[in-house]
Amino acid sequence: MHPPTEPSEGTAPIQVESTQPGGAAARPSRTLWGDAIIRLRKNKLAIAGLIWLVIVVTAVLSADLWVPKYFANPISTEFASLESPSAAHPFGTDRIGRDAFSRVVYGGRVSLAVGVLAVSISVVIGLLLGTLAAYYGGFWDAMIMRTADIFFAFPYTLFAIVLLAILGPSFWNVFIAIGILGWPSIARVLRSSILSVKENEYVDAAHAMGASNWRIMTRHILPNAIAPIIVYGTMSVGGAILTEAALSFLGMGVQAPTPSWGVMLSEAKSLMVAAPWLTVYPGFAILTTVLAFVLIGDGLRDALDVKMKD
Amino acid sequence: MALLEVKNLKTQFTTRDGVVRAVDGATFSLESGKTLAIVGESGSGKSVTALSIMRLIAGPQGKIAEGEITLAGVNILGMSDAQVRAMRGDRIAMIFQDPMTSLNPVFRVGHQIGESLRVHKGMNKRDADAKAIELLDLVGIPHAAERVRDYPHQFSGGMRQRAMIAMALACEPDILIADEPTTALDVTIQAQILELMMELQKRTGAAIIMITHDLGVVAEMADDVLVMYAGKQIEYAPADDLFYDPLHPYTWGLLDSLPRHDIVDKGTLCPIEGQPPSLIDVPSGCAFHPRCPYAQSRCTAESPQLRDLGDGHRVACHFAGEPDFLRRCMTPGGEGV
Repeated sequence: MHPPTEPSEGTAPIQVESTQPGGAAARPSRTLWGDAIIRLRKNKLAIAGLIWLVIVVTAVLSADLWVPKYFANPISTEFASLESPSAAHPFGTDRIGRDAFSRVVYGGRVSLAVGVLAVSISVVIGLLLGTLAAYYGGFWDAMIMRTADIFFAFPYTLFAIVLLAILGPSFWNVFIAIGILGWPSIARVLRSSILSVKENEYVDAAHAMGASNWRIMTRHILPNAIAPIIVYGTMSVGGAILTEAALSFLGMGVQAPTPSWGVMLSEAKSLMVAAPWLTVYPGFAILTTVLAFVLIGDGLRDALDVKMKD
Repeated sequence: MALLEVKNLKTQFTTRDGVVRAVDGATFSLESGKTLAIVGESGSGKSVTALSIMRLIAGPQGKIAEGEITLAGVNILGMSDAQVRAMRGDRIAMIFQDPMTSLNPVFRVGHQIGESLRVHKGMNKRDADAKAIELLDLVGIPHAAERVRDYPHQFSGGMRQRAMIAMALACEPDILIADEPTTALDVTIQAQILELMMELQKRTGAAIIMITHDLGVVAEMADDVLVMYAGKQIEYAPADDLFYDPLHPYTWGLLDSLPRHDIVDKGTLCPIEGQPPSLIDVPSGCAFHPRCPYAQSRCTAESPQLRDLGDGHRVACHFAGEPDFLRRCMTPGGEGV
């Protein structure tokens, strides 16, 4: 057989039925992520969340550069106890004379790290198991999903407390516990997403084109199934921060003197009336950071929907 | 030796209610540059025949139980998985029915057209993109160099089907299988797509297997026609013979149920009574007998074999070719009975 030849006389190029108004492409094409960013920019709430998160992350990561210099070391006890907020101590001081502002900033490190690392663990395990369950089905599907059901059957916080009681409370164990507890939801969301994507005709078309199973899974199915995981994962970071705070509040999380927002709340709980600033500021930090993650997740959900044609 | 030969193909699906014989003994062959149309009602086994040729029958429920499919003398059914993957898209390509869902929404059109080139020809991204532009141009997409960077949702239905055709043609396959390529398109676009396929067939010399239930499409494109009913091949003939001298009562039914402009309406649009049978519980003997106005006791007992009545016109009916026995309710000449 011969390759398709260049159109020559007698074989004029075939006319298309209609052209788009305005001739060529109606608008420049962009990448999936380029389009997503443009849509995300239109979502004011998501942008507000993103800006707040950038501020928090920058402040927390660069804390070593400016907090000890202009404010205080988070674990030094050199100040008067229970001072109310002032220029020297914007968030006041706690019972044993530590600067609350520097503790909130350094506490953010722990909270954000636990949030991001724990969700990363959940996502890695969830991706792997969810994909296996959806792709192989049958026995593996049943095994993985019933294991997930077992995880769901336990009260979440109680399960985390038991895990930490076994592992021992520490920074690393907190995020391992939260990470292990988070995978069933990720796996389940991904599995259902893959199952619906798998039925699409373009997956059949990829088979008919001679693509291998691995290629079909990674190139055709996962990119179409992953959006819910990105959204769910972003929102889960907020959830993980809350869980860390709850565990630390209960004394099962990060141990003193390392600051974390949950630890601070825990220490301040008996002083809520006498020194309200000790609960208000860490609480505010938790609230705004979690909210920022949820707003971004919400914005991503809309932005990643390629079928939105604006 | 024909390019593609299918002999006594039997494809079955095991379901909870029993074994579905989706294709039960299909035999046909196809030469380069020719078009074979497979027609029949929904569920008659057309698509399963095509999927069997591509070895795309999904196990473990589905399997090719019997038969032989050879592509240029090589037995497709004996190939390893790697050999089958190397064949798909390269030697035999497929165009799917619904262009709206057959393109992956997250990849650019050009990327998808180039994919088989990267997979089969080992082309790098830049060469594949250049070839994709050439192919889009070939299938009549204006401003191909820009549109190649579009996503599928930026294409209309007709343009997507053109892009699907470009994808299928990318590796210059020997055989193009089109599974109802125009069903999802409106009528004016249908004609353009068919014209495009014929035009490209002329240029590339590819053989086409056209799966359709639209006899208008068959008349326009096909060299040979295979009529299927309940998984069985009931008539197989050159297209002209089939239209001017159809021999099977089911084929008559199909032709008579078409509205025709050359016959003044005498109330002679005759749909086939009844429904196609369930493939789990196929009627005994000739599967068509419950709906056949000419059925005899022999038809209920004995399954008719495909017989060649000369000039390659094969039919599976006990009575076909007996001159006075069977009369159609409407003939091509126009005189109704």
